[in-house]
Amino acid sequence: MNIWTELLNDFQKNIPSNVECELKMMHSKSALTRFANSHIHQNVDEESADVYLTVHKDGKTVSRSKNITAVKSSKEFIKEALKSLEESPKDTTWAGLTSKSDSHEGFEEIQEVNPDERASLVQDFVNEGKDMNAAGYCSTYLNNFFIWNSNGLTSSDTSSSAFIDGIFRTDTSAGSSHRGAVDIKGLDASETGKEAAKLAVDSQNPIDIDPGKYEVILGHEAVSTILIFLSVYGLNAKTKIDGMSPILLNENQFDEKVSLIDTPEDENSIGFKIDASGAKKYNLNVIKNGIPNSYFHTRRTSKELNMENTNHEFFGVDDYFGGIGTNLNLGKGETSHNDMISSVKKGIYINEFWYCRVLDPITQVVTGLNRNGSFLIENGRITKPIGRLRFTQSFIKSLSQGNVISVGDTSRYADSEFGEGMLKVPKLHLKEFNFTGGVSG
Amino acid sequence: MFDLLNLAIDSAINSGAKYSDARILVSKSRNIAAKNGEIENFNESEEIGLGIRALVGSSWGFYSTYDLSRESLILSGKKAFEIAKASAAVSGKETPFADTPVVKDEYVTPHDENPFKVSTTEQIDLLLNSTEQMKKLGSSRSSGRLDFWDTEKWFCSSQGHEIFQNIIESGGGISSLSVGDGETQIRSYPQSFGEYRTGGWEVVKSFEFQNHTQRLAEESQRLLVAPQCPEGTMDLILEGSQLALQIHESVGHAIELDRILGWEAAYAGTSHLDLDNLNKHKYGSELMNIVADATLPGALATFKYDDEGTPAQRVDIVKEGIWTGVLSGRDSAAVAGVNPGGMVRADGFGRLPMVRMTNVGLLPGESSLDEIIESTDNGIYMETNRSWSIDDLRLNFQFGCEAGWVVKNGKIIDMVKNPTYTGITPEFWGNMDMLANEDEWVFWGTPNCGKGQPSQIGHTGHPASPARFKNTRIGVRG
Repeated sequence: MNIWTELLNDFQKNIPSNVECELKMMHSKSALTRFANSHIHQNVDEESADVYLTVHKDGKTVSRSKNITAVKSSKEFIKEALKSLEESPKDTTWAGLTSKSDSHEGFEEIQEVNPDERASLVQDFVNEGKDMNAAGYCSTYLNNFFIWNSNGLTSSDTSSSAFIDGIFRTDTSAGSSHRGAVDIKGLDASETGKEAAKLAVDSQNPIDIDPGKYEVILGHEAVSTILIFLSVYGLNAKTKIDGMSPILLNENQFDEKVSLIDTPEDENSIGFKIDASGAKKYNLNVIKNGIPNSYFHTRRTSKELNMENTNHEFFGVDDYFGGIGTNLNLGKGETSHNDMISSVKKGIYINEFWYCRVLDPITQVVTGLNRNGSFLIENGRITKPIGRLRFTQSFIKSLSQGNVISVGDTSRYADSEFGEGMLKVPKLHLKEFNFTGGVSG
Repeated sequence: MFDLLNLAIDSAINSGAKYSDARILVSKSRNIAAKNGEIENFNESEEIGLGIRALVGSSWGFYSTYDLSRESLILSGKKAFEIAKASAAVSGKETPFADTPVVKDEYVTPHDENPFKVSTTEQIDLLLNSTEQMKKLGSSRSSGRLDFWDTEKWFCSSQGHEIFQNIIESGGGISSLSVGDGETQIRSYPQSFGEYRTGGWEVVKSFEFQNHTQRLAEESQRLLVAPQCPEGTMDLILEGSQLALQIHESVGHAIELDRILGWEAAYAGTSHLDLDNLNKHKYGSELMNIVADATLPGALATFKYDDEGTPAQRVDIVKEGIWTGVLSGRDSAAVAGVNPGGMVRADGFGRLPMVRMTNVGLLPGESSLDEIIESTDNGIYMETNRSWSIDDLRLNFQFGCEAGWVVKNGKIIDMVKNPTYTGITPEFWGNMDMLANEDEWVFWGTPNCGKGQPSQIGHTGHPASPARFKNTRIGVRG
């Protein structure tokens, strides 16, 4: 890509040889076609090119970012960073630059998706529930990441993704669904719409039930929420350093049916094949048969905890946030949706959680609500739609030994509170989940 | 800059848009974070770019780019039009658009010291000293952060607006985290995630971090050995910053007109409010007077014009407990038949402007916090938010706070940990029976309000003073 080549050439001419330096550029074309009240009301398209510079000298580190337009000259940008370096205190956790041998060239030219293609998928979705009120979006992303450092590393990669996500609403109910793929051609908007429409129709005129402990079957989005909380607030090595992680490595912490793998190397995985430091990512068994094997590390966390770097540095100016797994797959089981339902004497099916927040990080007690498709299950069949419930539940305990009755036999990309395209999950059947409030509070 | 903007706008109009407006932004930020007496993050960033929107039929088309060349600007106008036009495949009723005065004006946030001209050493030292002090006093993890934003914004519309604004925002906070046996406790100042206002370095200096480090370190450790917050239905007294977040979640979002109209239904949700009940619905007790005021000097969401060129204004939202107003933009106001409230803003040049809270605050009452406590027989006083969750109608909420104090017979008698409370919006506000006065009224700011797709982070203000709520369910645990 020309703008990167020109930028890099100019920077290399102006970087003093006695400074460790890392230069990155993220070039993105992102577009989102949004619909509400069954028509497209907002349609946006953005092209961005952001440059990130990190310099390290005499034990001090400074990071700066500008978009390409704000970089008036590389000489000036470097001068600003070096001036700030003089005013900075020592950086005691500096872990060095990624080595040249980790270089990976994956940049490729990919054609961006046009708004007519997105509108067509929206039409397919909306058509599945013509008598209902539809809302949602179809989005497409094309990201190119380039990184060079003074160790000689040169890495690049290209990532594309597309998502369709929406709900149908009636006067008394709503149903939602979501799909993701590396290419818009991999999305079936009609199937997605059909699933959301059925949930909305079936959820009409919900009854209120008493809060309490219930057996639950969790849909893809609900499972995704539990796992993203584990990932960000537990498996992230930064939380371990801060004394906030509930994860216990090499212990039987979770049910043996729980296996979590990070799969950046898989062809159909959404996202870059390199992390933000430019190092090639690799597939990682994070939790195997209920036993956590590894945290998600960055250069800094691996140095501080003296553990192997798993190359999970997050994109941004530095690794301040810690490491996050972005291609998480919860291992599938062998139980179909119908078999799960038929095995429940009294329980609840929840399609999606909403507005989940951690009450205590170490026990990972989280509160949140259900929405867009919740049902009472009695004697092996769904009997009634139910209204809003508030849960207050430890996500760690929800996956603990003996609490996972079965794991679904199909998995898909599911949305999460921290973004889409990060988790591919099956449904889960859990023995107990704690609901602490109903519609009356 | 205005010439560049008009180039893009003319291109959108000549392509067939019925209305177009555009913004060029030069946005600078400085973010410093410290932990245990060391710098954890120090970053400065700068972005320059254009965002243009075009209205065609029932849809907005929006395009943004970093490329400000003449060719790119002309192409941007065409693209905004074409993107909007593509929406015709799934179109609705034509979107009306309310008029707003066409002005040429400029505005700069009043400030004493531009935070970007203050030495970074001084700013870094403030955090290093505060966090080192708390660490020495026994904190397991002491942290602090400072954030500054300087946004220069040029706005033009196809109706002739030409507005320049320079908005300067500053703030930050410190916290002490203590780790015990299988639990963590935290105390933060001025509030969790920091306190932010429009203004310069003087905003941060006014916080006087050094006078609060000892209290934070001591209280976070004391909480580890404190008893659990009792469970039950009793009086709840909320400190101002927690009440500010309560306003944000259970009033601010609920009154956003785009939510009420269903435009945010898929993601952020809708609202329990129905426009048919405007000026009739009982939102709370007679003590409840909420205004959305973008003109309050120094509050975080203070400006002169919003991102549609509508003047900043003060709008009554709840008057003596009755719902009277909404947060609106030029399109949503026209749909709902109300006046545009000047409440549309975008998160940078790359995002479509949308309805955003301004300074949505609770007007002060006549009591003092001491009087509220003295008149409480059985209750819990809660300080500083720790967690928040509310349903997508903004009705059923549960909040957790950092610290609680048992109040018995008019006196604070015990500190308790893990305090939580839950409720339903109109019932909760209907139970507000005491409200502190102007002396304790603070312009709390929320710098992290998420909304929209693609996601946008908004800066909102919530003036509030402490208040008491009768018969509240307290102490929910998992």
